[in-house]
Amino acid sequence: MGEEAFTDISGKAISLNCQSHSSFCREFTVSSSKVSIGKVLVYTCSVWLLAYTVFFFTENTAVLSSAILITLVGMMLHIHFVKVDHESLLVIGSLGIQVSSSYASGRETTSFIEMSKIKDIVINEAIYMHQIIYYLSVLLKDASDPNAVSSVVPLFQSSKPRMNCLVKVYKSCQEILSKC
Amino acid sequence: MGHRRRAAAVNNPSSQRVSGAPAEAVRVPSRKHNICMVSDFFYPNMGGVESHIYQLSQCLIEKGHKVVIATHAYGRRKGIRYLTNGLKVYYLPLQVMYNQSTATTCFHSLPLLRCVFVRERITVVHAHSSFSAMAHDALFHAKTIGLNTIFTDHSLFGFADVSSVLTNKLLTVSLCDTNHIVCVSYTSKENTVLRAALNPEIVSVIPNAVDPTDFTPDPSQRQDNRITIVVISRLVYRKGIDLLGGIIPELCLKHPDLHFLIGGEGPKRIVLEEVREKYQLHDRVRLLGALEHKDVCGVLVQGHIFLNTSLTEAFCMAIVEGASCGLQVVSTRVGGIPEVLPEDLITLCEPTVRSLCAGLETIIARHRSGSVPSPASIHACVQNLYTWRNVAERTEKVYDRVAGEEVLPLHRRLQRLRSHCGPVAGSIFAFVAVLNYLFLLLLQWLVPDRFMDKAVDATGPLGLWKQEQSSKHRALSKSATKKAAEPKISR
Repeated sequence: MGEEAFTDISGKAISLNCQSHSSFCREFTVSSSKVSIGKVLVYTCSVWLLAYTVFFFTENTAVLSSAILITLVGMMLHIHFVKVDHESLLVIGSLGIQVSSSYASGRETTSFIEMSKIKDIVINEAIYMHQIIYYLSVLLKDASDPNAVSSVVPLFQSSKPRMNCLVKVYKSCQEILSKC
Repeated sequence: MGHRRRAAAVNNPSSQRVSGAPAEAVRVPSRKHNICMVSDFFYPNMGGVESHIYQLSQCLIEKGHKVVIATHAYGRRKGIRYLTNGLKVYYLPLQVMYNQSTATTCFHSLPLLRCVFVRERITVVHAHSSFSAMAHDALFHAKTIGLNTIFTDHSLFGFADVSSVLTNKLLTVSLCDTNHIVCVSYTSKENTVLRAALNPEIVSVIPNAVDPTDFTPDPSQRQDNRITIVVISRLVYRKGIDLLGGIIPELCLKHPDLHFLIGGEGPKRIVLEEVREKYQLHDRVRLLGALEHKDVCGVLVQGHIFLNTSLTEAFCMAIVEGASCGLQVVSTRVGGIPEVLPEDLITLCEPTVRSLCAGLETIIARHRSGSVPSPASIHACVQNLYTWRNVAERTEKVYDRVAGEEVLPLHRRLQRLRSHCGPVAGSIFAFVAVLNYLFLLLLQWLVPDRFMDKAVDATGPLGLWKQEQSSKHRALSKSATKKAAEPKISR
């Protein structure tokens, strides 16, 4: 399957890559845009200018060195814990769903949900900050009552694709889920 | 489940594409509106306004309009819920200030309300209750965004004390821009027109309604060896509970077979408990405490006489419910009550203990002589007086009228505010209106309308919920799938 132009809820371009490994195994990868060099420059410059103003009045060189440290550590933390490059969803019929996200630093987190725990995959609505958005989520079965929903696992949490992208993923997921 | 899922996957593309198209693409016989009801008061909070909004929305959905409701979050109940027939409710996380009413700053609710209006493609905003700050905010924001607005007033106010002077001024400002106002009775209309200095031509009267099937008489529940007087109201000063405290001992002394059944809760409960204590009436005066709406009928049918002692009332639903259950109604002659029921179904008294006692005495005497009409005949009289379908039809006409009106551009809106609300308040609110407009521009720059996903309609001409009902074997649509994600749907 080819790639199509999609955007996230704030209008930034993202790309969706659907790979069909076999008839009951599909992988969806949502990649967000890279960190723009302009944004990095703006943040760094603002911290340094602020530090320089403080230095101008206090004449304490520790302010400048701490500013350098703050920017470096801030950037590292950002790429390691905040900035997500790819989020992927691997659906394997009769086995389960694997959700993984890889950060800009290369760190990856992966979690797996067994098919026996999954009740369904749905598109739901939620209030997020000052917006109302659609999101894709996995409904988990309650262990005691198979008809009840015990919890909801939201998918693509950091890239937050818009409805058209979600619908595409939703439909292919349902195709696989309905087979088992 | 598997089969239905597959069908959903196949079926969804078409419905998705249709609902994404503009509403004009599909020819519908008469004009359908996308209505957003806004009020601080909605279920799970109980009361007259809440049931009014719910019933009216249900009837409008039945007529093919799209209705969504916006209210504030109640405890853990926040987010988006679906009620019966796909009625969508937004429980927005706004801070509650006092008495279930949100704080009003004129600004903080704009982002979320704008989001609701844009994604639901709202054409008419209908706000309810003058006690609701959120309703006033919504009227203000809707005008900034450029939507037509309607306001329904559910209560009467005074003119004399400081708080009413202030509320009335706010109401003047808020209603000055509103296209149309709906009142529940002619008394209420008079009151609102005077309070808010409105042109009476833009004020309509549409009374409330009761569901007659919920309130049917059942004489077998009555005990014939006694006469029971039922009172159902919140036990607060406005409802004249002090009068009731005077009536109970007087009548109980005269008539040994008289019993009182009092439903409701409130700060004035202590008055009734004192009376009961003082005159040793524990076996004859029963206080039932707070009643749920579904239990009200069960209490009403046990009585012979319904007593209402309100001191102020825009439109008294309780007496219609009482009469619908076949009870003789005795009420005070205040506010809009005299217009509610025809004269032969109600006994009106002055709001004094003596007058109410005299009124009750005549009914009791009539009861003993057996000359009262049967409960079934009273029910037959009342059941067609106030129906929700009628209310919805009349409200629809208001929507039709409002939808054609133009929304004033900002500079004319400011002129009107200043000419209508006086130089000081007018200027202040004109300034607030300008700020609100700038805030909207900022929001439109931060989150442009084109980046907001249009919501999938559950109701209205393109509603998915309705299609599902009409053909049972058709697939579970997306809205129904989402419903599964919300296990706690109460109604």
